[in-house]
Amino acid sequence: MAEKVRFVIERQDSPNDKPYTQEFDVEYRPGLNVVASLMEIQKNPVTVDGKKVPPVVWECNCLEKVCGACMMVINGKAQQACCALVDNLKKPIKLQPARTFPVIRDLLIDRTRMFEALKRIQGWVELDGSWENREAPIQNPYTARTAYEISRCMTCGCCLEACPNVGPQSDFIGPAPTVQAYLFNLHPLGKFDKPKRLNVLMEKGGITSCGNSQNCVEVCPKSIKLTTYLAQLNRDVNIQALKNIFDN
Amino acid sequence: MFHTTFYVRRLHSLCGLLVLGMVLFEHIFTNSMAILGPQGLNTALEMMELIPKPIFMGLEVGGIAVPLLFHGLYGIYIALQAKNNPCNYGYIRNWNFALQRWTAWFLVVFLIWHVGYLRFYVKGVTGTPISFELLQNFFQSPIVVILYILGMFAAIFHFCNGITTFCMTWGITKGPRAQKAISIISMLLCAGMCAMTLIFMGSYFVY
Repeated sequence: MAEKVRFVIERQDSPNDKPYTQEFDVEYRPGLNVVASLMEIQKNPVTVDGKKVPPVVWECNCLEKVCGACMMVINGKAQQACCALVDNLKKPIKLQPARTFPVIRDLLIDRTRMFEALKRIQGWVELDGSWENREAPIQNPYTARTAYEISRCMTCGCCLEACPNVGPQSDFIGPAPTVQAYLFNLHPLGKFDKPKRLNVLMEKGGITSCGNSQNCVEVCPKSIKLTTYLAQLNRDVNIQALKNIFDN
Repeated sequence: MFHTTFYVRRLHSLCGLLVLGMVLFEHIFTNSMAILGPQGLNTALEMMELIPKPIFMGLEVGGIAVPLLFHGLYGIYIALQAKNNPCNYGYIRNWNFALQRWTAWFLVVFLIWHVGYLRFYVKGVTGTPISFELLQNFFQSPIVVILYILGMFAAIFHFCNGITTFCMTWGITKGPRAQKAISIISMLLCAGMCAMTLIFMGSYFVY
């Protein structure tokens, strides 16, 4: 008889329903990960009590830690389900939706707040035309590596879920969108809007809501040095505040 | 646009580290005179009485009462915005983050008792000057001693961890190496100040 892996899954039928848990067994195979296990449950959605239930709803896409869609709370920690290997997890494996975000159904969440936050910090570059390759403004070679690092953020929401200051009790936009402001401040054209972005970060729910718990940098699946850039932004907003006071 | 949140938050940080940090140092400095015995502490307390009354009152109100009330009340507002989660994310910084808030809650209660009893009731209402003998009598109860030691430890930890986070909030320490260095230095300071507290509290049971 093949080895089984037990999953304890927190489910919820609709955004306003009460959560409940169900347990499922999945046949073990080498290299099994959480997304693959959820696919097995989807094929045969029968709980350990032998009850046939609606399949568990979750989100996934790239299956290689690039898209961020399959972020969920696995054994209490926010992470990508696609690269969470069953071999490395304590059994039974507990799956929960990231409740910092509104839950749509089961493990499926609504990340709208992150995109709203990116709009707020102006997470884009204002263009006034296009360039031929040779004439385009160049990236600063000294900061290009940092810019590339931050640009890999996939808006998965791990850092928001792990941050004690993000949630319904607070209006903090969260580490990821805050640090995106630094990415666009580094851009050769984006930097023209730097004062605008810094002023937005000084508003309620901006960088002042960071409480330095530093969970974000610990859980970031893309190893973005979030706390380093948050400290840099703290420096930048302080200088911006002096400018606001003394430039007028 | 005037960013009220930003300035209040930064003022909260400055007020805690510089003003209330000074108050904490003053307490440890004056109280450590108890190590020299009744004479030592009483002389130090009499020296403070030499400061002219209006100036002393001004210092008490402007240097302690107002900053403490502001830091405490706004601090409660900040603490309510956190959902502590060190059980799921048990990293040192996250534990310190939670402890910063737990010590704060304890200090709110402790300081109401400490200031309310010793400053307002004993010194203010009954007019009894604070002295070594009075404190020795006060510390006859082991519960009072334990609560006072815990109160001091909480204040010291809150202050020392505050140094680390102050350096991050003001963008002084940016990289992980610098942040770690400051964190180690402030925890060493924390240990030293706690040891000092135990020594001067112990002196009430020696003399």
